[in-house]
Amino acid sequence: MDLLKRLALNKYGTGNESHINVNTDICKTCKYKPCTKVCPAGTYEPDEKEILIVHYERCVECSAALIACPFGAITFKYPENGISYTYG
Amino acid sequence: MDYDVDVLVAGGGLSGLSAALAAARNGLSVLVAERGEYSGSKNVSGGRMYTHSLKKLLGDKFSDENLELPVYKDTYEIYNKDRKLSFSFEQKNKKNSYTVLRSKFDRYLAGIAEESGVAVSYSTMVNDISREGGIVNVHTSRGDIKTPLLIEADGVGADVSRLNGRKLTPKYHMLGVKEIIDKKPDHDEAETRTILGLTDNIKGGGFMYENRDTTSIGFTLKVESIQDDANTKTTPDLIEEFREKLGIEGKVLEYSAHLIPYYGYDNLPPVNYDNILVAGDSAGFLINDGFTIRGMDLAIESGMIAGNAAKNIIDSKDYENTEIYKKMLDKSSIMNDLFVARPMFNLLNQDNIFKKYPGFINDFLSSMMDITDDNRKKLMDVMFEKAHENGMSVASLLRDATKVI
Repeated sequence: MDLLKRLALNKYGTGNESHINVNTDICKTCKYKPCTKVCPAGTYEPDEKEILIVHYERCVECSAALIACPFGAITFKYPENGISYTYG
Repeated sequence: MDYDVDVLVAGGGLSGLSAALAAARNGLSVLVAERGEYSGSKNVSGGRMYTHSLKKLLGDKFSDENLELPVYKDTYEIYNKDRKLSFSFEQKNKKNSYTVLRSKFDRYLAGIAEESGVAVSYSTMVNDISREGGIVNVHTSRGDIKTPLLIEADGVGADVSRLNGRKLTPKYHMLGVKEIIDKKPDHDEAETRTILGLTDNIKGGGFMYENRDTTSIGFTLKVESIQDDANTKTTPDLIEEFREKLGIEGKVLEYSAHLIPYYGYDNLPPVNYDNILVAGDSAGFLINDGFTIRGMDLAIESGMIAGNAAKNIIDSKDYENTEIYKKMLDKSSIMNDLFVARPMFNLLNQDNIFKKYPGFINDFLSSMMDITDDNRKKLMDVMFEKAHENGMSVASLLRDATKVI
């Protein structure tokens, strides 16, 4: 099942402002980009120039990418609303 | 110095609500700041709760209405190539552990806390803290709250501890990814399955739990192992693969993920700071001894201890000195059980458990359950031969066996 379809099952209260900031100057020099592998929601996606695009609206607030980033390039603030699980 | 409440609890999950209930019963004024729009909205159930602590917390009020199903059957499955070893243990009507869905359960527990005089402020985030005159000023998204005592129950992310300088590392965390499947079990007690060997060489394992109307499936993997160069797949790909290999049919109803603290006795983070008591996931309380994986009962238990320690600390008027909480924890079943589980926890953290044992065990059984033209060998000889073929020495096998016992 496609990831975006799976994420669409969840209930989000997404704001207009990203709660995730990445320092793309650091990311440009990071070859392996562990955040892209670790994140269960596909939030981090490098574009063709290897610059990270952050799909903050996909985020399930698990903090995995935050602790996986070896360079501390991700700053994360919990969103005002964000995800609300129905089952949990 | 004036303050707003005796105790502010950061986080309205299992440990936070338990702490708040215990503190309120001790006559303290308590406010819970919960980030979600309701308790449980940000939680992902580890699946199963051993209910001894919940029974202690709720006493006569305990009922299993808001839990899912009592677990009667534990199945272990060890996959390797096209082979699989599985074994089960069954005991009907045991009712000492239940599957749980947190969105429902935590809301119910929050209701009980509120009936007992605990105020819960929802959609409220703790952004920062500062200290003045021996007390804490907690800066929340809904304004400042001055309190002599802050109970941190903010989950695995441990934001309050991080404000106090703690760093989270991939080494001590697992990532749990779970799907709720629209598949109602055909019995009124639950089976849980622990699945090894289906997540490539990544450290961790899969699970399946039966709920009242649904089935939870997923895996928990070491974060350091997912990001390792040896793994080229993303987490969403891994979970899809896992589901396909298990052959689970049914509509997905929810897709969730959460970090799991995986410190073990030897690496536990601090449980207290000046004016701060740390409980539940934020204190890194998780036990895996190979037979049980526990976190939720430890959250409730440590929450209750924090709520009781709070009474002592408030009475002492020496709010910065929180050592009594640490002492109470040291004497509790939490620290005892973490200590007892230590050898198994460390063994289960070893690479070879995931990379070598599934092959070894299945090679051994495959050989024992086969008859060829070759002369039959003694069991011990087959065992050592297969261990050797899987890159393990007899000594390491014996060493690991000793740890189990």
